[in-house]
Amino acid sequence: MKNLGSVSRWAGALVLSAGLAALTAACSSTSSGSSAASTSAGTSSSSITVAVAYPSPPKALLAQFTQQTGIKVTWVNIGWDDLQTKIAAAAAANTYFADAADVDWSKVGEYQKTGWFYPLNTYFNVASLKSDMPQLNTFVSDNELMGMPFDSSFLVTTVNTKDFAKAGITTMPTTLAGFTAALKKVGTANGMASPLDIHFATAEGLSTCWYQMTAAFGGQVLTAQDAPAFTSPSSPGYQAMAWMINAYKSGLVPKAAINESDYQGFTTEMARNRVAAEMCDYSGSVASIYNVPSTSSVVNDTEYIPTPGATGVGQNVANPDGIGIPKTAKNVAGAVKFITWFTNTENQATWAGLKGANNVVSTFPLPARLSSFTLMGNIAQAGQLSSILQAHAQAPFPNGAPPWYVQFSASVQTNIHEAAAGQETVQQAVNAIAAQVNQLKSSG
Amino acid sequence: MSAARRGRVLPYLLLSPLVVFIGALSFVPTADTAVEAFFRVMPLDPPNRFIGLGNFRALFANPTITISWVNTAAYVVIGVTASVVLGTAIAVALKQRFRLRGVVLALVILPWALPAVVEAVIWSWIYNPTVGVMNSALHSAHVIGGYHVWLGLDRWLTILLIEIVQIWQITPLSAIIILAALQSIPLDLYEAARVDGAGPVQAFLRISLPMIRPALAVCTVEALVLSLNIFDQVYILNGIAPLGSSVMLQTYVTTFENLNFGGGYALSLLVTLATAVLSLAALALIYRRPEAA
Amino acid sequence: MAAAQEERTARAVTRMAAGPAGRALSRKPARLLGRVVAIVIILLWSLFPLYWALNTSLTTLSGADSIPAHYFPSPLVSTSYRAVFGIGGAGNGISGEFGRSLLNSVIESGVAMIVTVVIAVLAAYAFARLQFRFKRTIFVSVLATLLLPAYATLIPLYRIMASLSLVNTYLAVVLVYVSGFLPLAIWILYNYFNTIPPELEEAAFVDGATPMKALLRVVIPVAMPGIAAAAIISFLLGWAQFLFPLILTTNLATQPVTVIVAALNQQRIVPFTLLMACGVIAAAVPGVLALALNRYLIQGITAGSVK
Repeated sequence: MKNLGSVSRWAGALVLSAGLAALTAACSSTSSGSSAASTSAGTSSSSITVAVAYPSPPKALLAQFTQQTGIKVTWVNIGWDDLQTKIAAAAAANTYFADAADVDWSKVGEYQKTGWFYPLNTYFNVASLKSDMPQLNTFVSDNELMGMPFDSSFLVTTVNTKDFAKAGITTMPTTLAGFTAALKKVGTANGMASPLDIHFATAEGLSTCWYQMTAAFGGQVLTAQDAPAFTSPSSPGYQAMAWMINAYKSGLVPKAAINESDYQGFTTEMARNRVAAEMCDYSGSVASIYNVPSTSSVVNDTEYIPTPGATGVGQNVANPDGIGIPKTAKNVAGAVKFITWFTNTENQATWAGLKGANNVVSTFPLPARLSSFTLMGNIAQAGQLSSILQAHAQAPFPNGAPPWYVQFSASVQTNIHEAAAGQETVQQAVNAIAAQVNQLKSSG
Repeated sequence: MSAARRGRVLPYLLLSPLVVFIGALSFVPTADTAVEAFFRVMPLDPPNRFIGLGNFRALFANPTITISWVNTAAYVVIGVTASVVLGTAIAVALKQRFRLRGVVLALVILPWALPAVVEAVIWSWIYNPTVGVMNSALHSAHVIGGYHVWLGLDRWLTILLIEIVQIWQITPLSAIIILAALQSIPLDLYEAARVDGAGPVQAFLRISLPMIRPALAVCTVEALVLSLNIFDQVYILNGIAPLGSSVMLQTYVTTFENLNFGGGYALSLLVTLATAVLSLAALALIYRRPEAA
Repeated sequence: MAAAQEERTARAVTRMAAGPAGRALSRKPARLLGRVVAIVIILLWSLFPLYWALNTSLTTLSGADSIPAHYFPSPLVSTSYRAVFGIGGAGNGISGEFGRSLLNSVIESGVAMIVTVVIAVLAAYAFARLQFRFKRTIFVSVLATLLLPAYATLIPLYRIMASLSLVNTYLAVVLVYVSGFLPLAIWILYNYFNTIPPELEEAAFVDGATPMKALLRVVIPVAMPGIAAAAIISFLLGWAQFLFPLILTTNLATQPVTVIVAALNQQRIVPFTLLMACGVIAAAVPGVLALALNRYLIQGITAGSVK
């Protein structure tokens, strides 16, 4: 066919223009705004999407919120590690993700620097809330409140008192050495080859566990200038890591823990009575995991104990969860109403067990407000936890979470996991993490 | 428009949706990958700038990435060999017609038809170190002394077990293709061999194997592409740990967790090139049209 | 019509080919036993993991994580399935999530299947029946993308969709799926059209039909098996997608069932029994379709590989 005809020219032009459009779209670094997006989850002013790494509150109570405010809530529950990736990816792509989203204590520095979340100072008064919310400061960076805490999660040691009683131990040791010796007796008495669980999967839970063990050894992993504080073998961070790795290698911890994440460890090992103690448990596990009859074999047998430390009772690292408003939110007013509702005194106590097991938020640790504790009395061991909270809670870092926390934590998880799996020594792990910290600090 | 004019327009009309789709959503993005692999593209650190081989240098200085390439090579070798050999074995076993063969075939294809992610979740439960059925069965059969941790400790065991999950999924593909090829071999060739005194193994090696070379080539290439790009199974069974990581997993981590798009482009480009080169090599080596008898 | 005739011929050939030699072989008892054993092993290998998921989903957590494992559900309960479907108010709140993701999978795979097949039928017809310039170039280029790993386009496609604000929309997912499935669908249909004798269309032309009418009235009805093959394969490929929806969808509005099952695997407190129930349901849809339509599936897979 000699003559191409105009149609083939049209076809060519069609491809070319489609290609150019796609190329331009791909290369442009500005977004066309969120108005063109059409999601099938509500975009009207009477609905919001909440994305948190938590199971949702009971439907009946959410319905009450809808009744009071006219706002329908779509709750999205994603695993923590996935959620952080999604928030970052959505923010980077300038896409609508949710109206209210998870603000972890570790992200506060990052979100303040990148500007992905709205500062909430105009909606919530920091000065007046501080006395009722001991963890509020964790969410303030450069005087901007990046999220409202909605729990008082902290790391805590949990034991199965029944298993310990079988070994004749009724007073809990307060030192690590004493605790290890006790565990060995408990293991023998209960037929457990490995009576302690520490979760070593390459996930955020491993990093927080290291911070907690470092607190047990009386220190923190970074200095006030965000420099490594764990490089010397006599430093708390180094000793803590060595202790953890040794616990795994010596068989005190089950071999299966190498790939278990925090909750997998709690539900598979502790709740099924395969171990007798957890060293990096989260406050709230007793009420929300171990005392749930359908999935636990240790109902009413577990208890929190003060952290066994190097020389005596140690500290507990606080890792509270918060909720904030991404800049790509569509219904900011609705999100503010929701956050206010979700963090008010009565509801905080309800999520933790004030109104019975049917109204809890599954795995919810502790209310963020001291006034909620007053309401609860000793329901769900609130009394015991609040005394630990007030006396021993400690922030993981002296200077708050640095903006490069994500890469830091990734290095920590990977290296500690590899050291436990025998692929590198503790010294090599420490060196690798320190090198990463220095590189992150210098590149800003 | 005259009928003749319409005739000349028609093919392009029929093809235009295809061309738009493939052009805009396959060719242009591939070209984009090839180009932007040489740029520093980081949403947290704009603007994009040309850095030549910088991304590639950074990638190969990263030990995790190097580990993932070696792992992926292992995935490919194990995956291609096992799935093609197993597929051939299954095809030979099912070559003879028997009454319920249709049903058996339908069941054999089932693993191929299901989502890899769901299969990986099921297998992770099978491999569970504390209560999984693999531990239970091997222990009951006295093959192992106690329950083992299968994934995450030993690198090669982890790779093998993850690849088994992929092999489970892709073998049916080879089985079906090779079965079809076997069934198109004229039976008088086998008759002649039998008359000459050849046993079944001889018949297979001398007659079947050469005649199914084109099919073997196709299966090899399909298994190659799938194992080179393994992601779902690694993501579920290995998470983001370096131990059993694959190149595709690293591409995902680099791009969407570290938000280093330039690095992701560079890795994608390398994988694409590796796929193209290896596929063509496999085709050249294995594919050979059977000579007319 | 011609296709059915072809099939009958093929079946006859196979029957003949099974011939005296074949029948004689299968009479030897040792051989027979060997083959039965082989088939049992093949079936065990193919089906055990699926059986295991079903087994775990039909019992309580204590029944499922026992040492040693129980090969039959004991006790036999349906609590996990009731939880998934939200019956009786049970279930960790996942019933809404899971149900929505099933709907998303159906929509995304279904729409992608329809669009793919329509475009592929038109294109394959052009390649098989019409002569035009650049035919060979376009054909080879389209097929070459079969060798391209889909992931070569992963990041650019994400950025394109992000810049068009299409992240987390059905449209983005469907567009990406269609572009990925078209080459294979065209290959299947092209080979299928080539097995249809041109006399059929020539008869229609003689009657005065245009090529388009011939396509619609004559070719397509005859090509239904091939179209079914392309359709079922496209649907299954869509249902199985994970990495693309992982990055293109951000919440339940559009997340398909594969992404949700992976998320449940990571999540707080989802017992294995519930997880397996979700897995069984997520696998049941493609599984039932694959079983029911397995003949077309096999046709699609073998299309052109025996050439």
